[in-house]
Amino acid sequence: MQSLKKIRVVVSLLFFFLLSFLFVDLWNVVPVPVSNVLVSIQLVPSITKTLTLLTATSFGLLFVVLLTLLFGRVYCSSICPLGTLQDLVIRVAGRNRKHRWFRYSGAPVALHYAILAVVAIAFLGGSTLLLNLVEPFSNHGRIFSTLVSPIVVLLNNAVAWLLGQFGTYSLPTLAIRSVVIGVTFLPLAFLAVVVYLSYNYGRLFCNSLCPAGALLAILSRVSLFKIVIDEETCTECKLCEKVCKARCIQADTKRLDFDACVSCFNCIDVCPSVGLKYEALWKNKISPKPAEVDTGRRTFMNAAVTSLLAAVVPGSTSQDTTAASALSFDESRRHPIAPPGAISIEHFSSLCTACHLCVTVCPTQVLYPSLLEYGVAGILQPKMNYAASYCNYDCILCTEICPSGAILPVTAAAKKEIQIGKSVFVKEDCVVVSKKKACAACAEHCPTKAVRMVPYEGNLMIPELNNEICVGCGACEYPCPTEPRRAIYVVANSVHQKAKRPKVERLEEAVDKSKEFPF
Amino acid sequence: MDRRDFLRRGAAASVVAGSYVVCGGYDWLISEPGGRAASLPFDLVAVRGGEPDVMFQKGIAALGGIGVFVKKGQKVVVKPNMGWDVPPERGGNTNPKLMAEIVRQCLGAGAREVYVFDHTCDNWQRCYRNSGIEAAVKEAGAKVAPAHTEGYFHNVSIPAGKVLKRAKEHELVLESDVFINVPILKNHGGSRLTVSMKNLMGNVWDRRFWHGNDLHQCIADFATFRRPTLNVVDAYYVMKRNGPRGVSVEDVVTMKAQLISTDMVAVDTAAARLFGMNPKDVDHIQFAADHKVGRMDLENLKIERIAI
Repeated sequence: MQSLKKIRVVVSLLFFFLLSFLFVDLWNVVPVPVSNVLVSIQLVPSITKTLTLLTATSFGLLFVVLLTLLFGRVYCSSICPLGTLQDLVIRVAGRNRKHRWFRYSGAPVALHYAILAVVAIAFLGGSTLLLNLVEPFSNHGRIFSTLVSPIVVLLNNAVAWLLGQFGTYSLPTLAIRSVVIGVTFLPLAFLAVVVYLSYNYGRLFCNSLCPAGALLAILSRVSLFKIVIDEETCTECKLCEKVCKARCIQADTKRLDFDACVSCFNCIDVCPSVGLKYEALWKNKISPKPAEVDTGRRTFMNAAVTSLLAAVVPGSTSQDTTAASALSFDESRRHPIAPPGAISIEHFSSLCTACHLCVTVCPTQVLYPSLLEYGVAGILQPKMNYAASYCNYDCILCTEICPSGAILPVTAAAKKEIQIGKSVFVKEDCVVVSKKKACAACAEHCPTKAVRMVPYEGNLMIPELNNEICVGCGACEYPCPTEPRRAIYVVANSVHQKAKRPKVERLEEAVDKSKEFPF
Repeated sequence: MDRRDFLRRGAAASVVAGSYVVCGGYDWLISEPGGRAASLPFDLVAVRGGEPDVMFQKGIAALGGIGVFVKKGQKVVVKPNMGWDVPPERGGNTNPKLMAEIVRQCLGAGAREVYVFDHTCDNWQRCYRNSGIEAAVKEAGAKVAPAHTEGYFHNVSIPAGKVLKRAKEHELVLESDVFINVPILKNHGGSRLTVSMKNLMGNVWDRRFWHGNDLHQCIADFATFRRPTLNVVDAYYVMKRNGPRGVSVEDVVTMKAQLISTDMVAVDTAAARLFGMNPKDVDHIQFAADHKVGRMDLENLKIERIAI
């Protein structure tokens, strides 16, 4: 029994470092299957993905549900990286005399379930906004991908520079990703809230705001194993209450709110008299009773959250793109371009919890967090950013890695038939027309030759579009040299369409066996 | 260390011009165009009908062997075209067999180290891997260097440039004693043909400027900056259309040819002929000839033709 805490600490640190590393793995060293397994046991993405598509991920969900039905909320203390992040803060806080001990404080259960209900209803109604704001996995991901990864880039490049001084290129530098203030604001604010709450109130976040915590709290009510206080062996030393960061033990009355318990096993570890037991229900002689609750704070938080919810309208997704060419440049560019596998802006926006795992792994760094392009409800959901890069034709990494089902897996072959947008060519802006000089940067990069060069004047060639075979990858837009706006650019398909495969014709002579030299 | 070394050596060069160290390392900075070619038996060697590595063996032997160009202890850069995330048979990137053979020969001639890099268009790691070049040259003993961030490139001025006066050149090219340029011959929507001069675009950081400001003139301007020690044109798989990336293997003709020369203009002119184009239709070849980078008059050059 005493070793339970040690196991929990080891397991939680393992998950914490692995899951956090996924979001700063700018070298893509973690293989896709490993990443998939790790995120499949993250509750919220596993639920959203299972709702979209029954895949191997669903086993992860099954695992978490069974785990909780058997052992209570061990998920919250062992698997959830944000839980461990809070534990680290709590550990630091413990050095401060004022914060060393906890006191029982009934969890705001009604508020917690209300948040779960509202978040769930909003999600089922098509808005992920509330889920984005409170869901632990995505918030943890954003903290690391947005706030920590720039530090990783700097460290990597410092080491690369040092190695360079010794004449070796063994560590390539990492491109510095632009930091948009608006994008960093939410992760920073969330981190501040979580640090504040955990520093002062232990695992209050998990028992008030976290929808995953609420869901697991419900399950843990009927879990097989529970921690209970044994009235016969308990010596009322109250140490268990003092170390309970979920603040769910009331030593005076020997009550333990197991639905609020995150199964950290600190109480069992600290108990000098085996007064706490972790036992299967059928052995339980004492049925856990709910304790009195601190209604003051609950009322306050209820009011606070209700007013927050009222301010947020679910929905407000982007409207359909009308015929691209009919729109002016600025208007047509208002719509974000969702990555291949996203099916439509609606599908993508209604499932993406903006964890930014795709942003981290994207090898060309074309995926970038949006601000409000998907609407308020889609804040921070990634979009294709063709100002920075373009989508590699044969790459399907984001579709393989997405934990939430927002980007569904597609094969490399299938991806080539997905049109996420269409090219628009503004002839008068083109270098060939405006400067009468050769360029062809667009056609050069185009993987399907939806943009190809056709004779223009003299030796000059000019781009010509065939949007039937355009996949909308941005390979034309990104390298286009015209300023301030690109002469060729991609407008979004709000519902992804089918691109035809480029027509392949045999050359008349595939093998030139001539031994002649034409000079 | 290398960069500091370069600056230190550059400073030394101004003081003791002509000392062995300076000449050994940076003779390309002071040598006359074509000065080396004068001592070679041929201005251009053309080979047909063999595998890429075999054609290089025969071709370089005709010029007196790689030892004419690579001396013991020198630092060598072998620069392929590996700008695209496509396999070798698509003809988008230089043939890995040829690359490996050149690396082997350089090391065999006593090169201290051989580097391979390219500033790619598609994602650099995928290009390095899927071109087959990374694995092939590493096995042959070369070091593969990155070129995907601006930090690897340094400002250089191009005094003879008409449009392109400045560029950012990869530090390895600046630091190397020997620079071997190994393009693949293919169709190109913008520059009409990709051969040796066009391949130098993979040495620089900002290509957008070139595209926006007379691509052909910029290519020719940059050709005045540093003549490669040697140019080896891979024409084994030749992409006849949809270049430079190509759409499928159907764009490719198996031509089994190779051209070797120290003169970029001559080798590009011959390559245009081989491709079936009039060299005069490729503006940057003419512009470079105007810059006196090399000669287009193949009829007046000593050409060795080898059929295998």
